[in-house]
Amino acid sequence: MNTTGIPLKEPAVSAAAGDTEHLERAYIDASTRLPVLMFYTSAVAWLILGTLLAGLVSFKLHSPDLLGNVSFLTWGRLRPAHMNVLVYGWASMAGMGTAVWLMARLCRSALRFPLLLVAGAAFWNVGVLIGVGAILLGDSTGYQWLEFPHYVAVILFISYTLMASWAVLMFRHRRGDQIYISQWYLLGAFLWFPWLYAAGQLMLFVVPVQGVLQAAVGWWYANNLLFLWFGAIALGTAYYMIPKVIGRPVYSYHLATIGFWSYALFSSWTGMTRLVGGPFPAWMVTASIAATILTMIPVATVGLNHHMTMQGYFPLLRYSPTLRFTIFGAMSYTVFSVVGVLISLRSVARYVNFTQASIAYSHLGLYAFFTMVIFGAMYYIVPRLVGREWRYASLIKLHFWASAYGIGLMTLMLLAGGFLQGADTQNPALPFSESIETVLPYLRGRSLAGILLTASHFIFAYHFALMLLGLGRTATVPTFLNPLDAEPSGGH
Amino acid sequence: MKGLAPLFLGIFGTFAFSWIGLTVIPNWQIGHLNPQSDEEGTDIYPQPQSGMFERGARVYAANGCIYCHSQQVRADYAADDIERKWGDRRSAPRDYIFDRPVFLGKMRMGQDLANIGARAPAPEESPSPAGVASPAAAPAKQATAAGSPSAAPANSPSSARSPGTAPATSAPQSSPSGSPAASTSPPPGQRTGVASPSPGQMANATPGGSSPVAPTAQTPAAPWPIQTEGLPPMYSAAWHHVHLYSPRSINLDSNMPSYRFLYQKRRITGERSSDALQLSASDAPPAGWEVVPSYDAKCLVAYLMSLNQSHPVKDVRSIGGAAAPSPSPAAPVAPAAGSPAPAK
Repeated sequence: MNTTGIPLKEPAVSAAAGDTEHLERAYIDASTRLPVLMFYTSAVAWLILGTLLAGLVSFKLHSPDLLGNVSFLTWGRLRPAHMNVLVYGWASMAGMGTAVWLMARLCRSALRFPLLLVAGAAFWNVGVLIGVGAILLGDSTGYQWLEFPHYVAVILFISYTLMASWAVLMFRHRRGDQIYISQWYLLGAFLWFPWLYAAGQLMLFVVPVQGVLQAAVGWWYANNLLFLWFGAIALGTAYYMIPKVIGRPVYSYHLATIGFWSYALFSSWTGMTRLVGGPFPAWMVTASIAATILTMIPVATVGLNHHMTMQGYFPLLRYSPTLRFTIFGAMSYTVFSVVGVLISLRSVARYVNFTQASIAYSHLGLYAFFTMVIFGAMYYIVPRLVGREWRYASLIKLHFWASAYGIGLMTLMLLAGGFLQGADTQNPALPFSESIETVLPYLRGRSLAGILLTASHFIFAYHFALMLLGLGRTATVPTFLNPLDAEPSGGH
Repeated sequence: MKGLAPLFLGIFGTFAFSWIGLTVIPNWQIGHLNPQSDEEGTDIYPQPQSGMFERGARVYAANGCIYCHSQQVRADYAADDIERKWGDRRSAPRDYIFDRPVFLGKMRMGQDLANIGARAPAPEESPSPAGVASPAAAPAKQATAAGSPSAAPANSPSSARSPGTAPATSAPQSSPSGSPAASTSPPPGQRTGVASPSPGQMANATPGGSSPVAPTAQTPAAPWPIQTEGLPPMYSAAWHHVHLYSPRSINLDSNMPSYRFLYQKRRITGERSSDALQLSASDAPPAGWEVVPSYDAKCLVAYLMSLNQSHPVKDVRSIGGAAAPSPSPAAPVAPAAGSPAPAK
């Protein structure tokens, strides 16, 4: 503890050694500047577009005649466009940007071959743009999460190959034998994604499997994209940010090992829980339900590890934007997984399958968990790339609370609405329309939550644009959330 | 953790384990099903679809129907889908062997469509306006006349393909009710209307006026939606077109988007077009105008009306089996394949 009462990291090494390390880090950060900023800028642009699409999707669901007469503005096209913009535009690009930066830092090596990444990011943007255009113009494949037509898949794959080869090259040039926990997750994510994408494309478009198996492959792909790509990046990021910000090592390396391997093993098997009662062998569903329950092991170990690392440092949440977002995301991982277990149980699935509750689940995973962790990482990384600090603590606070309340409200609305909707559909005495009328008020509530999220994203994008334009603060200390009580004396 | 090799192997191993377990083994188990047939090798189910059906499925995919509609009847232990009369048996993997993409769905903001085609009014149930000759419907060899040449624009090559391949779900394929379609004057409102409601029916409809064929009692009434006075018989092709064009004219509370861009509003030149929509009240075009479905809309409706899982499948218990279902109005899937539709 220093004199300000803020439990910041005290320099543990000698000044000279500290300086060297500091310079080295600054050098590595500078080398990542162009590609990472390119990823982040694209991601934020996609985030704004995806948010606007999301707003339309949400409002049109309860006001169906809104902008209804234009083919590319109909709900059935906007919804996959929204989903793909946020999954492949925002989340993937922000995740890759974060992963690239972390990889360079953790390999303790200046970023080599930046052009590979720049070209990869450019291709990726082009791919997503064409793909979203194709969906809006009516060229969707009809497979959920893989709506992009095959020509877009080719572009994305080329782009991804460039980025993955960069990651492998970086890994070969790393310094030091020890592979840090975050690197396990990031390496996993970098390898899992292309395998997943290739397997999904192969089994659906190149050598298509028969009938219902297409749906199984679709579920397997979507679920693993959520866990093995987005989830792995977010967990890797959290494992870096939390110890880094509070200046304390991770509580237990062994717990982390158990957490990582059980995560890889069990979460990749959870895809079939929504198929209960469907035209599939029952063992597939049962295996996935069992795997979902077993994901409580990584949840418990990761949660315990983060909690013990944070023990005694929770007051820091008041000051560090990074920590606040990251901890919110890490806690959401637990909530997301617990909700996942609950809605996978057959007795509950009876009521929540085919309802809005499943939308709540995917938003918990992709927003409350992944996106919040990535926001935290961006608050940490962007100042180190542009050499300025975030300009307004108030905007960070607004962003955080609008996001937190927004996603909280959205989850509650969709979960509650979904349960009631399911209860109505499972009551054959009620006409089907009753279930829709039941859920509509909750969908209006969801739109309200969407307004909060839209506001939060616009605030963030504005703040981010200020940083890009070099309009950040030139202070040498980070922007703290409560600058009045904090007179930081170093530390990050 | 030291060294890259164990890490890499572990990452690859967990992935491969999941891939093999959840996609390769199921593929080995149910990935190579063939259509079933009875002992004589007839009554083959399901049968591949082509032409308008295939295109209709693409329209279904392109416009995101799957985000609100499922196409699966879940087993009775898992859900009340069967009690809700969405089907008389659970869906089986064999029902989907020719579907690509397969539209099982994840969400039900609208009702399940697995058997929407089976809910179409059976031919006998629609009154036939006397004296209406419908020569255009005559060539409809299939009971589901989606493949009927009259339905498709003359320049469509795809429609020419379909009559050869009996649509899998042409419900009355083994029932006597299929035969009237081959006769020269099928009553309007029957399945010949899949792609274009047979001319007689439409010709009699005055723009904005009530249709001559809106007898509320004939259609097997599902609890929802409710047959609206003045509209075509529920789940008939004409009804689907009106529903796609203006969902809220059929059910005021529906939150289904309207698909007006699939329809054309045009000035009537000469005679009113045979497939013009029977729109009511505010949706009705001004006098002298008519709303006609585009080819995509016709394909979509043909596809919807082909959705029918009422054919019994081996190893799956159907409630009521192939026996004629009770003629009670509460049985929406009444005209099950293989069973003569109850003549009421």
